[in-house]
Amino acid sequence: MRTRALIRLAVILSVAGLTTAALAASADDFKAALAKAEAANKQAGALKNQWTTTKDALKAAKKAADGGKFDEAVAHANQAEALAKASIAQAEAEKTAWTAAVVR
Amino acid sequence: MLRKIFVAAVFVIGAAQPLLADNAVDPQADFKAFREYFTKRFPKVQLNDFVNGPYSMDEGLRKQWQQIEEFPPYEFAVEHGKEAFAKPFKNGKTLGDCFPNKGVGIRQNYPYFDTKSGEVITLELALNQCLEANGEKPLSYTSQDMAALTAYMAFTSRGKPFDIKIPNDPRALAAYRSGEEYFYTRRGQLNFSCASCHVQNPGGHIRTEVLAPALGILNAMPIYRSAWENMGTITRRFQTCNSQVRGVPLPGQDVLYRNVEYYLSYMGNGLPISGPGARP
Amino acid sequence: MELRQSHLVLAAVASGLIGAAVLGWSAASAAPADGQKLAFDRGKGNCLTCHEIKDGPAPGNLGPALNDMKARFPDRKELIAIISDETKRNALTVMPPFKRNLILNDKEIEEIVDFLYTL
Repeated sequence: MRTRALIRLAVILSVAGLTTAALAASADDFKAALAKAEAANKQAGALKNQWTTTKDALKAAKKAADGGKFDEAVAHANQAEALAKASIAQAEAEKTAWTAAVVR
Repeated sequence: MLRKIFVAAVFVIGAAQPLLADNAVDPQADFKAFREYFTKRFPKVQLNDFVNGPYSMDEGLRKQWQQIEEFPPYEFAVEHGKEAFAKPFKNGKTLGDCFPNKGVGIRQNYPYFDTKSGEVITLELALNQCLEANGEKPLSYTSQDMAALTAYMAFTSRGKPFDIKIPNDPRALAAYRSGEEYFYTRRGQLNFSCASCHVQNPGGHIRTEVLAPALGILNAMPIYRSAWENMGTITRRFQTCNSQVRGVPLPGQDVLYRNVEYYLSYMGNGLPISGPGARP
Repeated sequence: MELRQSHLVLAAVASGLIGAAVLGWSAASAAPADGQKLAFDRGKGNCLTCHEIKDGPAPGNLGPALNDMKARFPDRKELIAIISDETKRNALTVMPPFKRNLILNDKEIEEIVDFLYTL
């Protein structure tokens, strides 16, 4: 009786464990996402147009990873990459667009 | 020939996109258009009043300001700066020794273009260069100590018209152009340029703050801000503007900050130094 | 300070939503966020910085007051376009491109428009 209950619990736990493993991001996933985000932000830095929100997202990603929450960490890193890319696009467009606002 | 050199210089410095034929840099024409824009938009504001920033735009604020000026909140900074200027370095020299006329009454000449180094030298940079040349530690560009020095220099220069010169040197024109570009370039997640607020919307309210006009905006620097409860240097003002639009500020005295200060100060030519200022 | 805190809260909320999506919950099952809250939040719509809005404290005035929205913008698409990226229509506008610069997502813009139509 007791053994059967334990077995059942073990099955439930292992299934749950497998499911989580299948869905959850790993430390490596996070590292890859972070590298992409940081590369994009570095490019924005070369254009002297980093955004504070990119920086905040990178910080949040690292903090989540430090706490072992890799799903969250990857999500923040992806967000940081998207923000960095938007800041790059802004800087590229402004290279010519800025003249429209000049007082003449 | 000159034009070729100029274009090459712009490329080397990386300050701007390749110049088109109809896009030649003409600081004097820019200056005229800039001043006209503000005087036409605000016909009731006296030309010399623009240096008083938001007070020139808002009568209610001006009354509060007149009360504040009875006990100027920047007075302490001016005193502190005066003492620091006289205090000998370890080598016996003083800050005053680095500047013409011991640093008194010369604020209106900064920034200037240094043809030796090929760079814009602002007052804040010149002060730190002086400290370092004499074996002293440079100051943080956002520190109260730095603000005290520029407050003292501005105070002794009050009423003197800004007199920024752009020498006939392609590098100087490139620096000016780079500053103009920085001034009008949108940045940060909120997509604002300096001009979005200070050219397009002077007198407008951002929440309860009244935006200052760009014309003469640096004449009042440094400023005591009640919101900060202390003094702010030009560097601090630029960095705060950047972060307010969610852009990561540049390091103090980054070449772009120096170039935009050069451009903007030139636009304020002829208007009196009014610094140090007091702002809400 | 206030801005920072709201950023953190929003980051937490955003990550929670992303987490929920990862776990296979449909976004629709999340409680509908309050459009007014998004509009007033300094880290999100931040509309009061430039617009007067009923019940909104200390508004700025760079943009027009937000009232009679249904009468003025009968086409919902137009309002969405203005919030998403008004620079497309008016190159010199100071209205931030909320969607292009990832300040708001589609769902948040829809919620803010719902709120604007109550004004």
